[in-house]
Formats: sequence, structure tokens, C-alpha cells
Amino acid sequence: MIFLRQAFTIAAKDLRSELRTKEALNASLAFSVVIFLLFSFAFDPGNLNIDINEFSGGLLWLAFAFAGALALNRSFARELQNDCLDALVASPMPPGALFLGKSLANFALIFAVEAVALAVFAVMYDVHILSQFGWLMLVTLLTTWAITVIGTAFSALTVNLRLRELMLPILTYPFLIPPLMAAILLTTDLLAGKPISGDNMIWVRVLVAFDVIFSLLAVVFIDIVLVG
Amino acid sequence: MSPREFQFVFGGFLTAWLILVIYAVSLGLRERRLRKELDRVRQMVEKR
Amino acid sequence: MREKVMYTLAVIGMALLTWNLYKILFVLPQEANVAAYQIVYFHVPAAFTAFTGFIVALAASALYIATSDLQYDAYAAGVTEVALAFASVNLATGMIWARFAWGIWWAWDARLTSMLTCWLMYAGYLILRRAIEEPTQRARLSAFVSILGCVNVAFVYKAIEWFRTQHPSPVLSIRQGGGMGSGMEAPIYWNWLAMLCFAGVLVIVRMRQEAVSREIDSLRRMAHAY
Repeated sequence: MIFLRQAFTIAAKDLRSELRTKEALNASLAFSVVIFLLFSFAFDPGNLNIDINEFSGGLLWLAFAFAGALALNRSFARELQNDCLDALVASPMPPGALFLGKSLANFALIFAVEAVALAVFAVMYDVHILSQFGWLMLVTLLTTWAITVIGTAFSALTVNLRLRELMLPILTYPFLIPPLMAAILLTTDLLAGKPISGDNMIWVRVLVAFDVIFSLLAVVFIDIVLVG
Repeated sequence: MSPREFQFVFGGFLTAWLILVIYAVSLGLRERRLRKELDRVRQMVEKR
Repeated sequence: MREKVMYTLAVIGMALLTWNLYKILFVLPQEANVAAYQIVYFHVPAAFTAFTGFIVALAASALYIATSDLQYDAYAAGVTEVALAFASVNLATGMIWARFAWGIWWAWDARLTSMLTCWLMYAGYLILRRAIEEPTQRARLSAFVSILGCVNVAFVYKAIEWFRTQHPSPVLSIRQGGGMGSGMEAPIYWNWLAMLCFAGVLVIVRMRQEAVSREIDSLRRMAHAY
């Protein structure tokens, strides 16, 4: 399908460009480690009785959401120089393909950051990530795709605004509350070694539904934002 | 209804309507400001 | 013509409200197990009014995208703003009721969180509109946010059914609850109607302001053009 091929071309372009400098990768990774560090000060560092399993999921996903926003901001912003964005939009490629390509690239980048940050998190906070690794990966993939789709869509929306860096978080985080809620609940259980119970399966369905619905909405309606 | 309960119900009703009244008042203020601006701009156009 | 509609709506709303208040405070029996439950007669209709507003705004945004007529964009903005006011009423009355019934102002359960999320999304919509000056761009971008936002409203509505936590389970007979007992459920719907009337009045006022504001913009452009 031409649509997918175009999307992959854009994704490859973005990834290639990013991998040359690795600016966003390094910045996001460093930022997530800093967040882990800062959170450790929120709780008495000397107190060995704190049960990390109560808030492991929350801490992890907050760090991922904030670090991901760093990468997402640059996604369309980097195209502003030399009128690259105008050229991309004016090309015969459908805006949905442009959006999908950017989303795929962002997804790869954010997931890479998350993978490394997860390992760092396991070491810093002594959580066992391997016990429910399959489910953990599934939840991570689903939520990362949700963050990517919403973040890329709003990155496209805010790219031409004066207050771009301010408007992106204001718009993105409320929309991300449902998937983040789901991810936090599930991850907290999974990191504690518990499999996903029947009650919690609904959160997995929420994640899947959110991903499907918002991916479709974004791809179909992104031309409103990009082209007008 | 116990007095305390009545207080809370009253407080709830009051809050509900207070929010709407404040919003309506803010609309009214905005209307006044807009009309002043409109007159000013109209005068600016007529002067030319 | 519009003035007449406005006054009619206001009168109907006041009449419904007064009649309903009388019924709520004096006629209905006192429930022993759910204290101060009369607040629900404003809490729930406010939520319904807000949701109605968001859906109407979605329709207006969709119409704007279809026709590129800025009048629809004005409708979307006005209705969203009024709906946000009613969502604030819902949150505030919910907090007061929670303080009375359970001693806490807030609880982080799915329903409250999703209503707050809803509020934050549409507050973001209004902030976005403030940040863009060019009318067409503003209309386009806010239409996009409105479309995405309304889907989340559906999530909110459904969350009340799926998650039974601190918030009382659905009791309205239309939503698989047991029904509140004869005569007690009707005031909710009547109050909803009254609130819709008031919302209509506020929207009409707001729309007039949008028209005035647009006139100012065009006059200003004309003044600066020469």
C-alpha cells in the first residue's frame, strides 16, 4: 500500500535524522533518570520500609510521559526551519501518511528511551521486571502508542503557535489521562509480580480501545490541522 | 432534615447557582467591554 | 427575535426551577441512608447539561469542517464555554456532597478523575482559542480538539458504569440502575430541562458577543487598512 510506504519513508527520514545526532534520545533518557532521582527525594531516602510496589507504576509512567513530551515537541518543530513543513504538506503525500510516519518514528524513539529507563528504574528501585515481562511489554507498547499518537497530533497542532512549548503539555496531558491511568494501574500490579486479574482486564481493553479510536481519529482528521 | 444536613444542601445549591451567576456576570462585563471597543473602533473608521 | 427567544427560555427555566425546588425540598421524603441527597438534583443535571453542550459543540465543529462557515465555529466556542461552566457546577456540587457524605473533598476514583479530565480538556480548548489570533486557523485547530475531546466525554460517561468505587453507582432507571423510587427520579430530568433553558440563554448571550467581537475585528482591519 502506497500510504504505508509513504508513512515508512517519513518514519525512516525522521529516525535517520534523529540517530545522527541522538539529541532527543539523550535528552529524554537523561530527563527520565533525573525524574527517578527527584522522586526518590519525595520519600525519605533512609526509610527502608517504603514499599515501592505501591507507586512503582505511577512513578514509571509519569517519567515516561514527561520524557516523551520532550521528544514529541521536536517532532514537528524541527520541520519549521527552511520551510520543510510547508514542503512536506504540499507534497502529494496525504497528510495522514505524514502523521503516521512521524508517529511511527516518535514511537520508536520513545520506546527506546523507555526500554533503557525501565532497566535503570529496576536497578535504582529494586523492582523485578522480568516476572511478568510479556504483559509488561504489551502494556508498555499500547500506552507508548497512545502517548505517541496524541502527542504527535498535538505537536502538529501547536507547531505554528507562539506558545508552542506551553500549549503542547496543556493540551496533551488531559487527553493522556485515560491511557496513563490504565497503564499505571496495570504496571503497578505487573511490577509487583502479580498477573493481571480479571477485574483489571478492563484496563487492557481501555488501552486497546483508546489506541484504536484515537489512531483512526488522528489519521483521518489530521489534515484539518496540517492543511486546513 | 438535621440542621447540619440542611447547611450542606443549602451550600450545594448556593454553589451551583453562584458559579452560573458569576459566569453570567463575567459575560455581562465582557459585553460591556466589547461594546466600548466597538464604539471606539467605529469612531476610528468614521474619522478616516 | 433572538431577544424574545432568550426571555422565553429564561422564564421557562425559572418556572421549572421554582416548581422543582418546591417539590425537592418539601414534597419528597427524606432518605435515611443517603444523606443530603437533594444535592444530586443539581449535581446530575449539571453533568447532563455539560455533556449535551459538548456534544452540540462537536456537531458545530463538524459542521464548520464541512462548510468552513465561521458561524459554526462561533457556536462551538460559545456552547463549549457554557458547557464548561456547567461542568464546574457538577464538580463543585460533587465536592460539597462528598465533604458532607464521606468527609473528604475529593477522591481519586475513575468517575471524578474522568470528569476532571473532561473539564481540563475543554479548558485547554478555550486556552488554545485565546492563543490563536487568526480566525480561520483558530477555528480549524479548535475543531480538531473538540472532536478528540468529545470522544473522551464518551469515556467519562461509560466510566460511571464500569467502575464502582466511592462514587454512588448509577441509580437512574435509564442506566441499568435500580431506579430511585417513584417520583424521586423525575425532578432530575425536570431540573435538566431547566438547566438546558438557562444554558440556552447563556449561549445566546455569548453568541451575540462573538458577533460583536467579529465586527470589531473587521472594523479594526478596515480602520488600519487605510
